[in-house]
Amino acid sequence: MLEIRNITVRYPGMKHNALNSINLTIHPGDFVCVLGKSGAGKSTLIRCLNGLQAPSSGEIIWDGQPFSVLSDEQLRKIRREMGMIFQHFNLIPRLSVLQNVLTGMFGYRSSFKNLIGWFTEEEQAQAKQVIAEVGLADFADRRVEHLSGGQKQRVGIARALLQKPRFLLGDEPVASLDPGTSDRIFSLLQEMHDRRNLQTIINVHDVHLAKRYATRIIALKDGEVVFDGEPEKFKDDMYVFIYDAESYGERSSIRLT
Amino acid sequence: MWFKKSSILTFIVLALFVYLSMRLTEFDLSKFKDFRNMIDFLSHWFPMDFSLLPMILEDSLETLAMAFLGSFFGLIIGLPLSFMAAKNTSGSKVVYHLTRIGLSFVRSIPEIVFGLILLTALGLGPFPAVLAIMFHNIGVLGKLISELIESSDPGPQEAMKAVGAKTWFASLFSILPQIWPNVLSNYFYRFEVAIRTSLILGFIGGGGIGQRLFNDFKTFQYSAVSLDVLVIMIIVIVVDLFGSYVRSRVI
Repeated sequence: MLEIRNITVRYPGMKHNALNSINLTIHPGDFVCVLGKSGAGKSTLIRCLNGLQAPSSGEIIWDGQPFSVLSDEQLRKIRREMGMIFQHFNLIPRLSVLQNVLTGMFGYRSSFKNLIGWFTEEEQAQAKQVIAEVGLADFADRRVEHLSGGQKQRVGIARALLQKPRFLLGDEPVASLDPGTSDRIFSLLQEMHDRRNLQTIINVHDVHLAKRYATRIIALKDGEVVFDGEPEKFKDDMYVFIYDAESYGERSSIRLT
Repeated sequence: MWFKKSSILTFIVLALFVYLSMRLTEFDLSKFKDFRNMIDFLSHWFPMDFSLLPMILEDSLETLAMAFLGSFFGLIIGLPLSFMAAKNTSGSKVVYHLTRIGLSFVRSIPEIVFGLILLTALGLGPFPAVLAIMFHNIGVLGKLISELIESSDPGPQEAMKAVGAKTWFASLFSILPQIWPNVLSNYFYRFEVAIRTSLILGFIGGGGIGQRLFNDFKTFQYSAVSLDVLVIMIIVIVVDLFGSYVRSRVI
């Protein structure tokens, strides 16, 4: 269980808080989609959850351990149980799919072994297993630059899965993908979530995807939680409110002014 | 309009600099009326004395070894320092500033000064020249690579932190593959420069084909000078071609 207690994040030189006194509890089995405009604090929230961003005040508690009392080394050990996927995939260029996926194990191995790239047969078999799970079995030796966006995100997911995570974080993982690919990536995420009994939090811009896949929607506006509930309860007026849109669906229509 | 009022001012200032610099360097094209001297001088360069070729090649090999060793050690030492001298990887402001200052200090000393100082301790020969080239290249490559590191994509670095890798390892592992082709092309450029530098260091007793060129020149053996120059040109071109070949294979 992950508890977020009253966290506030303020970046130096900024007038407003990126996050303002957020309180949330993420339960096992939750598939959370976080909605909100760009700048609403979605990325900051995700980055706080695995300790990449330290909150200015407040506390994040993972299995009863508050982050603020943990050493860097202890935080690193927590981080390896949290898989993370990114909008721009953040794969290591010039390496193959298999090599990129193997980096998911780095947190569990010595830096020396990582540096020389020595992996046991079993570790390689595990990596190939997750590559097959995300549907890239035929691409294991392909260099990642040569993949399509959707395939790159599958590599990102495989890398996260090799961490044997209990928690999956996604920072707008489909924002650079076309609608069909986005849907397939979400359906893969849902499958992995169910199969591995994960807790998942994903930032997303697409309300339809959120409503289709999430078990819980959280909406942020100006660094505050303005909605937290079941997807069915997220209605058009909420959409208009969080995106400052004039009407539902405005973003996808063409306006002639 | 392409030109603003301030561009006119820039133009005037530039023209002034050109004029002043010409005065200071006694730049005067009319001096070329004595160009016959040059033709006369160059005519002594030919025919080349090919009987000297084996010895010239031996010295060239020494020059290549000097340039390679100096620039390669410069890379080996400069590469880790560059991670300390880059804002996004140094980890501490103190380390960042100290490394930067150290690198610019080393870079500000010309190789020939290093060479002259080291010669007093190590005596004549290529060894002090190698060290002189190495020191300068630590400064140059350290700075160039630190700039490559600073302009690299922070995404993969964040991903490596997110999988739970140690911070130093996350930086190294995510940034090196991104900058590698540019590191190589910088290295090969510095290797090429090191060949020319080792010629100058040869003039002060650093050995290699530079020293041979200098001696041939001072003893008026122009038919040997011409062959020295030809061999030097060929070496520089070959190294340049080899560098582009390696780089194209890497990308």
